[in-house]
Amino acid sequence: MSLFEFFFPKKKAPHASIAKERLQIVLAHERASRDSPDFLPRLQKELFGVVAKYVAVRDDMISVSMRRAASATVLEINVEMPAPVKTMSARPVPA
Amino acid sequence: MEKRSEKKTEKALGKVIVVTSGKGGVGKTTTAAAFAAGLALRGHKTVVIDFDVGLRNLDLVMGCERRVVFDFINVINGDANLQQALIRDKRIDKLYVFPTSQTRDKEALKREGVDKVIGELRKEFDYIVCDSPAGIEHGALTALYHADSAVIVTNPEVSSVRDSDRIIGILAAKSRRAEKREKPVEEHLLLTRYSPERVQKGEMLSVDDVKEILSVPLLGIIPESMTVLKASNTGTPVILDAASPAGRAYDDAVARFLGEQREMRFAMPARRSLLRGWFGRAAT
Amino acid sequence: MTTTVASRMQGGIFTLMVVKIGDPYDPALEREIAEQVGQSRDFFANAPVVLDLKDSLGCTSVGDFTSLKQLFRRYRLMVVGVQQASAPQLRAAQAVDLPAFPGGSGPRRITSEREREKERSRQRLITEPVRSGTQIYAKGGDLVVIAPVSPGAELIADGHIHVYGALRGRAIAGASGDGDARIFAQRFAAELVSIAGRYLVNEAIAPEFLDQAAQVALIDDRLSIMPGWSKG
Repeated sequence: MSLFEFFFPKKKAPHASIAKERLQIVLAHERASRDSPDFLPRLQKELFGVVAKYVAVRDDMISVSMRRAASATVLEINVEMPAPVKTMSARPVPA
Repeated sequence: MEKRSEKKTEKALGKVIVVTSGKGGVGKTTTAAAFAAGLALRGHKTVVIDFDVGLRNLDLVMGCERRVVFDFINVINGDANLQQALIRDKRIDKLYVFPTSQTRDKEALKREGVDKVIGELRKEFDYIVCDSPAGIEHGALTALYHADSAVIVTNPEVSSVRDSDRIIGILAAKSRRAEKREKPVEEHLLLTRYSPERVQKGEMLSVDDVKEILSVPLLGIIPESMTVLKASNTGTPVILDAASPAGRAYDDAVARFLGEQREMRFAMPARRSLLRGWFGRAAT
Repeated sequence: MTTTVASRMQGGIFTLMVVKIGDPYDPALEREIAEQVGQSRDFFANAPVVLDLKDSLGCTSVGDFTSLKQLFRRYRLMVVGVQQASAPQLRAAQAVDLPAFPGGSGPRRITSEREREKERSRQRLITEPVRSGTQIYAKGGDLVVIAPVSPGAELIADGHIHVYGALRGRAIAGASGDGDARIFAQRFAAELVSIAGRYLVNEAIAPEFLDQAAQVALIDDRLSIMPGWSKG
């Protein structure tokens, strides 16, 4: 180390370790979404269409995901039901 | 009685090696040129193909830009045959260059045409090195489709590592071998523009970092070197520069590819002389 | 008081509303007129209107213009003329007393032979640098370039090729087989030259001809390079 460095120590920048961490995180996400099949977003959209015919759901109340468990792959579909609404007694509809 | 009069087995078909990266500017063309030259120097009849239609550079790096008549697209379209388009390297006997068109674009790489050309090349050459364009679109996908092996060129830098990861995923999904469920493409990691001094200071991702993140076997480490600029300026593949550390490193990489054991040089900083240390850091 | 022709007839400058017409029977046209007029009814009362026909393939019959005049009348606008009309459109317009107004922006559609010829000659004179990857074909004639031609660019002509600048790309003259075609370059450094199918790559050209004025011709079925502007 030269005299110059002794009196004015440069700030060492160990940013490689930050780089490594960031990469590991971003790649973990990307790989996970890469492995999930293409059809999941479409499946979710179509399911929403079907369920909405019978139940008053918003599109954020349905979620579809794929998980790899130990022995099998699981397709998970979650549907949040709307809060129960007090129904009036239906008026008879003319035949 | 064993069959002594068996017909001699047909010459094995040539192997396709794709040099790819995802990220641009990391050293694909430099690598493709040096690698192909290295294989040919060792006696294997090799052709190196430019897949970067419209942005061609291989002819320039190989020093044959003044000899281009017909190109890859001409052959695909049937305007010329393979023999008319292939350019024989003047320095290395078994090395050939297959340039691409500068006036067309990647849409000109028609699948059936490329398949046919690669098929013909396999019969004539031991190794077919494909210099891929950057990106993950049609040009890059066409370049990697027929690969038996892949050299994934990566700089020790976040964007490059991320893009290399992406291209590795694509190789595993969109190559012909993946489609036909054959033995997967052999993956090789080539780290380029490596600076052991900066790694030691903690400024640059290390070989181990990149190996850990990408999980692909390491083929070689190519040190950052001014001789690479000299090589492309003079149109001479850097492996032919006896004084170049990058050239030596490419030579090691080719040797390893062919099965030789070679120590990984250029991973550690060069030892500093006592004198240098006394007077402060000398310019590198 | 005597009036002279000079004082009776004068030039006038007016600002008129111009309405672009595509399909004269498009219902969207009426909707848009209605909306525009609706926003400022008094401003547009009995305002004169000029129809811009640049983008219209119709408006070629008297009936089309009659219909348009009636449409605008419904919104208290009066069609007083047309601009950027093609010959058949103009004939129909004039038959219903609509004159042609000058002006209008954008390139005219090529309709006459003379205009087509002018367009072609524009393609044969290049005044901007020809960049790598560009291909220029002068069909049926010569190509003149007064700008540099980059490596990786291609100049093709059925006739001669003249480059008043540095030629660093490819030059292919006599592309349809005319062996008398020649290539002239002020600064000759072409990657490849060709006349009527015969070609020479840069490497095969003697260095004494490179980077100066040179000419390429087909003589006795062989490509010859000559210095400057010699007759050959």
